[in-house]
Amino acid sequence: MCPGLAYWMYLDIVPLPMVTRLLTFILCAIALRASEPGKLSFNHDVRPILSKNCFACHGPDASSRQGNLRLDTRAGATGAEGGHAGIVPGDSAKSRIVMRITHPSAPMPPAGAGDRLSAAEIEIIKRWIDEGANYDRHWAFEPPVRPDPPKVRQTDWPKNEIDYFVLARLEAEGLTPSPEADRYALARRLYLDLVGLPPTPEQARAFAEDGSPNAYERTVDTLLNSPRYGERWATVWLDLARYADSKGYEADRLRTMWPYRDWVIRALNENMPFDRFTTLQLAGDLLPVPTRDQLIATGFHRNTMTNDEGGTDDEEFRDAAVKDRVATTGQVWMGLTWGCAQCHSHKFDPISHKEFYELYAFFNQTEDADKVHDRPTLKLDKKTTTLIMRELPADKRRATRIHLRGNFLDPGDPVEAAVPDEFHPFPADAPQNRLGLAKWLVDKNNPLTARVTVNRFWARLFGAGLVETEEDFGNQGASPSHPELLDWLATEFMRLDWDMKGIQKKIVMSATYRQSSNASTAQVERDPYNRLVARGPRVRLDAEMVRDQMLAASGLLSEKMYGPPVMPLQPDGVWQVVYSSDRWETSKGEDRYRRALYTLWRRTSPYPSATTFDAPSAEVCTMRRIRTNTPLQALVTLNDPVALEAARHLAARALDGPDSDVPDRIRRAFQLALVRPPAEEEVARLAALYEEARRKLEADPEAARDLLNVDRIVYATDRATTLIPDSREQPVEWRYRVEEPPENWFHPRFKDSSWKKGQSMFGHIKPKKKREKKPGEEREEEEDDSGYAKPEASTLWVSEKIWLRRQFTVDGPGFEGFRVAARFRGSFEVWINGVPAITSGDAESGPVDLKISAAAERTIRPGKNLIAVASTRTIEGDGDQFIDVSLTALRPPDYERSRADDAERAAWVTVAHVLLNLDETLAKR
Amino acid sequence: MPPRMEELQQRTRRYFLRSCPLALGSFALAEFLGRAAHAAETERSTINPLAPRAPHFKAKAKRIIYLHMAGGPSQLEMFDYKPALQKHDGQACPQEFLEGKRFAFIKGVPQMLGGRYQFQQRGDAGTWVSELLPHTAEVADELAVIRSVCTDQFNHAPAQLLMHTGNQRLGYASIGAWATYGLGSENQNLPGFIVLVSGGKTPDAGKSVWGAGFLPAVYQGVQCRSQGEPVLYLNNPPGIDAEMRRTTLDAIRDLNMLQNERFGDPDTLARVGQYELAFRMQTAAPEVMDISKEPAATQEAYGVELGKLSFANNCLLARRLVESGVRYVQLFDWGWDHHGVSDRTDLRYDLPRKVASIDRPIAALIKDLRQRGLLDETLIVWGGEFGRTPMRENRGGSYGPYIGRDHHPYGFTMWMAGGGVKRGLTYGATDEIGYYAVENKVQPHDLQATILTLLGLDPFKFSYPFQGLDQRLIGPTSEPKVVKALIG
Repeated sequence: MCPGLAYWMYLDIVPLPMVTRLLTFILCAIALRASEPGKLSFNHDVRPILSKNCFACHGPDASSRQGNLRLDTRAGATGAEGGHAGIVPGDSAKSRIVMRITHPSAPMPPAGAGDRLSAAEIEIIKRWIDEGANYDRHWAFEPPVRPDPPKVRQTDWPKNEIDYFVLARLEAEGLTPSPEADRYALARRLYLDLVGLPPTPEQARAFAEDGSPNAYERTVDTLLNSPRYGERWATVWLDLARYADSKGYEADRLRTMWPYRDWVIRALNENMPFDRFTTLQLAGDLLPVPTRDQLIATGFHRNTMTNDEGGTDDEEFRDAAVKDRVATTGQVWMGLTWGCAQCHSHKFDPISHKEFYELYAFFNQTEDADKVHDRPTLKLDKKTTTLIMRELPADKRRATRIHLRGNFLDPGDPVEAAVPDEFHPFPADAPQNRLGLAKWLVDKNNPLTARVTVNRFWARLFGAGLVETEEDFGNQGASPSHPELLDWLATEFMRLDWDMKGIQKKIVMSATYRQSSNASTAQVERDPYNRLVARGPRVRLDAEMVRDQMLAASGLLSEKMYGPPVMPLQPDGVWQVVYSSDRWETSKGEDRYRRALYTLWRRTSPYPSATTFDAPSAEVCTMRRIRTNTPLQALVTLNDPVALEAARHLAARALDGPDSDVPDRIRRAFQLALVRPPAEEEVARLAALYEEARRKLEADPEAARDLLNVDRIVYATDRATTLIPDSREQPVEWRYRVEEPPENWFHPRFKDSSWKKGQSMFGHIKPKKKREKKPGEEREEEEDDSGYAKPEASTLWVSEKIWLRRQFTVDGPGFEGFRVAARFRGSFEVWINGVPAITSGDAESGPVDLKISAAAERTIRPGKNLIAVASTRTIEGDGDQFIDVSLTALRPPDYERSRADDAERAAWVTVAHVLLNLDETLAKR
Repeated sequence: MPPRMEELQQRTRRYFLRSCPLALGSFALAEFLGRAAHAAETERSTINPLAPRAPHFKAKAKRIIYLHMAGGPSQLEMFDYKPALQKHDGQACPQEFLEGKRFAFIKGVPQMLGGRYQFQQRGDAGTWVSELLPHTAEVADELAVIRSVCTDQFNHAPAQLLMHTGNQRLGYASIGAWATYGLGSENQNLPGFIVLVSGGKTPDAGKSVWGAGFLPAVYQGVQCRSQGEPVLYLNNPPGIDAEMRRTTLDAIRDLNMLQNERFGDPDTLARVGQYELAFRMQTAAPEVMDISKEPAATQEAYGVELGKLSFANNCLLARRLVESGVRYVQLFDWGWDHHGVSDRTDLRYDLPRKVASIDRPIAALIKDLRQRGLLDETLIVWGGEFGRTPMRENRGGSYGPYIGRDHHPYGFTMWMAGGGVKRGLTYGATDEIGYYAVENKVQPHDLQATILTLLGLDPFKFSYPFQGLDQRLIGPTSEPKVVKALIG
């Protein structure tokens, strides 16, 4: 048995075949039912066995083919192509492969290459040969043909064509669909699916109480036209685009790609047809007169990683980016794993090694070249320059050669841009470049683009695709659960001229989508993963929804759209990236509460609570997230300060609303979090919790205070006050010297009047070498593309050590949580009022942000205090040295409240916190 | 294919439903969770993907401590004794070693650089060890030193990825993720794959080095920190003590059970289980992470500095973690990139300090495990992502006041100990100046195949389906070899 099989139970999505031979028989039994009675279907019954067990050595890849035997085509298998004949159609007894797979001592596949075929599998192979060894083309490579909706018995159930396909299958299985979900469940489902946020209790109630026949459709239309729609569906697309705000690899410096993200949101909100959406992203720059937005759209393939590490070969990483573009294009539009063919011909699918490099040739003619200041860029305004795609001029075009074994240093034969032979021809009138390739992808003869795209929409709405392996429609992929429905949707999508909102509306208007997700034990046993869709979808929320819903329920969510990425709360010390002085500085004001898709995404150190909920790191294209269910997720929603902050505000909404008695307040909070009204037993349980929590908190006023101000302790940007600013905000004057001072130099009473005065920051930053400007190069390309300020020294310091002193004023009692933030190279120490406060420890450079020692904090009094800093440089490769120290503290809280009030409010926080942690809250049902 | 899968799940699901009736009271729940934590290997737990699982064949090593010196430690100053190189010290590097080669920083014709330290044969086996490693020398007979490791990556990030995930590109699963995917973990109150970082920075390739890649995220390494919260989000927020947390969890459980009765989704039960596991982890993790509980003599032996972030502390922590049943403990120590461009990267000024910071703790770790009878079943792996050149680095084409070496992928040293590895072995060799591995070359995929084999997993069969391929740690080809000579 395969290792680790049963735990797939935890994953909402089932992975591809971790198959036991034992169960093959069942596959066949089920598959048979779906195909022509009596005769085996090659695609459903036989191909999976051959593909899994034989094609690796007897498949399309000629270079690894063994024994001159090919089994993936009929001509190959029967010896018509000159190889050995493995199969004699109609006569299994004379077929060589049957002898081999049944060989008593040395059966195929050989030891080490796979397990023996089961008796059931052998029977299928024999029967198939006896029936004539008929080969069908892989279903996904045949263009979809629009089927007529099948006949059904329960004719009053279907609302549109989708339902006929689903119901016909259910009736064939002897099942019935579930009743329509209750209005609150439907409202929440629609809102989460279409705009990624839950409805407010008022919106849900209005929907629930609207008895008019078109109430549902009106809501669907409203949501599809909401600006939130583009944000929700952009998160889906950005996984495919491997969108991030950093370059990846070692240094992983930040860069400005967010204009592309904003373009996606706008394009989706405008309901740009999918063919145009495709063309602009793959080839916007090749349009006759590209607009600014069309150039920004080409950021899609500029999301590839670039490597700034010293001494790297730029060509190596340019090549890696081009390969990534080929692989990503194959994945996103055609659901194929073209990337497999970069080293050798694909083992399972019809794309040869040569064809991979023919596709590569389309992407090999762009200007970008993995430089530190990577071109081409587009300057949008004074502050913003983003990466775009641009074709090389005719005289600089690169020759493309096959890379032997995928190694760019080992070139083989030259190739020209072309598409794989297996598929429809390249459009006759299209140019042989990315623009032509885009046209080929959205050509109505393309068998895959529409299928893959509607399948993705279906998967995001139902939790799993009709083809479960969204990333693989090839020979190794899963067969569709409803092949005719998939084809109907694909042809409908094209008939609607690639109208994304249109096809999504069709799906959510169906009776299938509106079913209740409640399941009886019998239903769960019968179809645990709901592949037959006899009930509505129920899946855990995506990482982005977990955050956004929490902020929405608590009223904290900012509706601000677009712009540079933001830094919401995250635990200290998560960002420790080699060779970088970027630091995570919690955004201020509403930027702290933006939707998740605006969170700054650094590939080597992504936002930790989101990755815990399975958000991908965005290094490469992610076609589907594998959902997991782990204890670390519980720790996030229980302990993340973001969750606590949301709970506090959710509690305040319940407490400060119009309701005054406990059950009503519970109902209010419950609906804010879960949308539906609670059952009485739920109210009772929460009321019991409230009473118990209040009793405890009355006895422990400190705990109550902490709960109410949880972010005061660690992350109090609201109450934070600056005593000495960072020099980037405001340079300030220090006394300094660079010669060894007397021993007591850090003492408050030490006389420093002979010391020099200087403005922060102190140091020496080596000027960047100016690149020689090439003829025709634009000015803006000289600029740093990170969009983030590099340190600049105001006072020159080049010696080994420096000593600094400065007074600071604390205006009143009650200040606490003093922290020193420093940017430095080497080491530093801080004394406050003569008492050691901080040392830089093992870190050799950085921004660091540290709490001062308790002993030092105790010396701080209202009025004048003294900070003293000693710093020693280190000589890193670039020779920069600098020290910049800032000091912050938390103002005393600005409210006074009785202990009883605190306990009551804190008990409501507990209630709200529980509501945000319920399974139903974290799932879509 | 999926129907086969579905049936399998259906079967498991039936077991699941039988075992946990929908109206679970808290007593039944406790029983249910207890069962989840001690799931037999045949009927795998439906609550916990980290439940222990049987290996393919009998394992020699039950768990791993992998010590990675990020940056590329200099084999020529530590384990690879090259008297001939000494003779060429200061001479121009012969062209044959430069033609067609790419270096990170070396330009033009650099000088050869002899090892800076004395070597001696140590232990009964006579393993060559430099004077920088007096403590490690004492346990030389436990080591299997591999002097012929080579890689094809000479930049930090891709080389680290290749060493840990079997591929130089991002997106692949690390050895620790594979190990916990294949074997689960023996302690359900702790993550099965724990990462400890010292030296002030995370590795160059970031968290991908301990990522799950295409494996489910649950198998990724969990970084534990010896300062602050041991695991991100582990601590209760201020104002919530253990008792209040229990009150909260009771309410969450009861409400989830009510919802489960109403909606009938078994996933709700799985979530209830995860909250209970999280609660237990909150108690167990800080306990095991608290090295101050160790006797003073033990702390002394490792060279522990309480309250600091140090490699020594992490070594002691690693022992506590494997002792608690954690499957894979990954240590990263940053600061081994001795290019010789500053005093902090100089072979004379910094390397001795750096080596001293690992020498004593590693020796203490080996002795400690041995004394506790854990060494036989705990595999220790030591090494970097590549080695360092026998030439002196001449960044920018000239020499400054400092001495260092550039990145070197063609032959460097790693070692293994414990966990079924042959004791007192020196395996493979480089040429006389330490440039190329010339005898018994070992590639990262060979090392990985060997490690998996020691864990009882068949590296050639152990796979995961992704993007149409059965992905393996050791890559798709049949080239990788289990280094049988290393196995005792």
